[in-house]
Amino acid sequence: MTIRRPSIFAAALLAGGVALAACGSTPASTNKGQANTTSLTCKTSAVANSGAANAPSGAPAPTSAAPIPTANPTSAVTLHEDGSSLIYPYLLALAPELPTAFSNITLSPASGGSGKGQTDAIAGNVQMGGSDAFLSSSQFSSNPGLMNIPIAVSAQAVNYNVPGLVLPSGQTGLHLSGCILANMYMGKITNWNDSSIAALNPGAKLPNLPIVPIHRVDASGDTFIFTSFLTDTNSAWASGPSFGTLVSWPTASQISANGNPAMVQACSANPGCVAYIGVSVEAQASSAGLGEALLQNQSGNFVLPTGTNMASSVSAGASRIPADLAVSLIYQKGADSYPIVNFEYLVVKKTQPSADIATAIKDFFSWALSSSGGATPANLGTVGFIALPSNALPGVDAEVDSITG
Amino acid sequence: MILLRRRTGGEAPGPAPNSRAEERGHDASVGETVAQVVTGGFGSVPIALLVFILVIMAVTAVPAILFSGTGFFGTYFSPGNYYLAPTVHHGIAAPHAAAYGFLPEMLGTLVTSALALGLAVPIAVGAVLVLTEWVPRWAQGSVGLLLELLAGVPSVVFGLWGVLTFGPFMLSTVSPALTGIVGGFPWLFPWLPQGMAWALLGVAIAAFVVIRASVHGHQRRGLLRKSAIVVFISLWGAAAPWFTGEVNTAGGVLTASLVLALMVVPIIAATTRELVRRVPVLAKEGSLALGMTRHETARVVTLPYISTGVLATSLLGWGRAIGETIAMFFIIGNIFTGIPVNIYHSGATLSSLIAGTLDGVLQAKTDVSALFAAGLFLLVISLLSNFGGRLIIRRVAGDQALPVGRGV
Repeated sequence: MTIRRPSIFAAALLAGGVALAACGSTPASTNKGQANTTSLTCKTSAVANSGAANAPSGAPAPTSAAPIPTANPTSAVTLHEDGSSLIYPYLLALAPELPTAFSNITLSPASGGSGKGQTDAIAGNVQMGGSDAFLSSSQFSSNPGLMNIPIAVSAQAVNYNVPGLVLPSGQTGLHLSGCILANMYMGKITNWNDSSIAALNPGAKLPNLPIVPIHRVDASGDTFIFTSFLTDTNSAWASGPSFGTLVSWPTASQISANGNPAMVQACSANPGCVAYIGVSVEAQASSAGLGEALLQNQSGNFVLPTGTNMASSVSAGASRIPADLAVSLIYQKGADSYPIVNFEYLVVKKTQPSADIATAIKDFFSWALSSSGGATPANLGTVGFIALPSNALPGVDAEVDSITG
Repeated sequence: MILLRRRTGGEAPGPAPNSRAEERGHDASVGETVAQVVTGGFGSVPIALLVFILVIMAVTAVPAILFSGTGFFGTYFSPGNYYLAPTVHHGIAAPHAAAYGFLPEMLGTLVTSALALGLAVPIAVGAVLVLTEWVPRWAQGSVGLLLELLAGVPSVVFGLWGVLTFGPFMLSTVSPALTGIVGGFPWLFPWLPQGMAWALLGVAIAAFVVIRASVHGHQRRGLLRKSAIVVFISLWGAAAPWFTGEVNTAGGVLTASLVLALMVVPIIAATTRELVRRVPVLAKEGSLALGMTRHETARVVTLPYISTGVLATSLLGWGRAIGETIAMFFIIGNIFTGIPVNIYHSGATLSSLIAGTLDGVLQAKTDVSALFAAGLFLLVISLLSNFGGRLIIRRVAGDQALPVGRGV
């Protein structure tokens, strides 16, 4: 298989020579350098992407309004989808609109976690399995004819519940870095008043409150993209739990939740919490009173998952799209790039049990990818997604076209 | 089948069943055979099912057992990482860094159900006694109905309430107070580690009881009762450190145990109510006629009469508590990576482990196998505790087959 995440391998090699102590565990060094407090042990931008040959490219053009095929399946088809709780609100918004274009197709989404989406799609329990994570090379090789087809670009927020936190005026959220987050989840930083957090938030009043890191108990694409970010930014994390839909969690993370909405609930119920939550449920998170962190990108800027910042990551990370469409958009270059951005995939089998189902899946994809179909700014905007970059569409179209009944 | 035949023979109508059957001739014997086959077939279904489930679970668990060996009694469970190279152990390939230690979940299952039962039995018996002895007769029906309706509340509703309402209340109010009380007690003995003061108290009471008994030559029964109290306090002393320390989550072991207790209360209460109704009125009236108060009557007549039955129904509640899944899954926090440092921390039960991880691990055969092993452990714990309970009941109840109470 091709090496999908060159940055990790390059970084791991280089990190071997770097001191392995945790960032922030040496207050003396963090106090000296304000600008780059995490450089000693955390992977810096120069290190992290030295191996990645990303050709520069412009911002993604809006999705081309490809003509939507009108071939309605000959009989009524229900497309069952199960998986990612991050893509679920989006598909829920698409479901009622689909029959206006295709009277014979019903979309029935469910939210069981990305791991379940992949499993159900492989087993044929559902026609499409939603996943925030692309398939692993072993999943591709052991399931010939399995495809992961992106339909939108999503991002993940890091939320916190820190009563007593006072931010300087003008700062909307706590500044955090991937390295610090990794150290929180590994139990190396245990209190919100830690000097390494203070170094990123000058002028902020940080309470004396234990940090309660929350993780997902189910096999989750959110876990995948979050741990990818930690892997890219913290060498101890990269050589330890690493990234995956399921990882071996350090014992410091003492609370778990099942699905994104449960993450919001668990975070609001547990003061001191820090949690990773997909942007599609950020409305719930903010109404539950959770803060949204500004994450440090490669350029050292602290950014929020806005459409512009996500597009910046896409243009840096998706400049080359491999044939299997498995692309990591984590921790990309660019002054505005938000560090946790991902393609939202639907896992589909190339060979479908009937021609009608194959037609319905093709219809759904072409409709869902079109800006005049499902990918309207309104639909994308309600869940904080953006459309796929135009350079991804040829590959997506080729995969969709290969579906047969 | 032998048993069945004897029973059907005995139930046949008329004073001379054999002659009747002969009179009816061939048809009757065919009917008998059909009835035997049909009832025998139905009767063997539960046994066959139990054997079938046991065999399937054991066979499916084999790869994980081979992979893990004694590692099942480790304290760390992880389904591993599917995106990295598989880990091979004893010739079995599992996802990267997979580990199947079930000790925290086994302890979690036992501790939550024991705590729940320990709280539910006094609550249920107390509630029933109040209901039958003190609540006016006209209100008994409606109050009793409410108690029984509690048994009809689905466990998922208990789970929702526990995680959304009760958990935050525990976190903000009850747990900090409790850890303060338990942890605050050693303030009297600042040189002792937390909780040890309780053990010391137990030893002191034990010494006092023994000395008093040797001086006064107390009755054996009273001594037994007192030493039971001493053992209880000493156990509490050993367990007390687990009730102290940091409170960091709305869910956790204690919250789960308390909700579990509420779920078990109606099961115990419903049976206890029937038992109390069966207490002979004559015995009660007799004690009242002797000048005993209602309170004394309840203690001297009612409680001894129902005690065996309560023990038996507690066993039912225990079975329910061990197997309870969805409420535990919602509330307990599902941390599979270690034994909780105290009772306010997140933990896990075997059932919550299976419920929480099954969906995600179906792609890895060894992980699924490990969950079957967890199920096997749950089944074994459940069967063992059931047998143990039966043994206790038999000892207490003597030769009586049915767990109904003995009079005073």
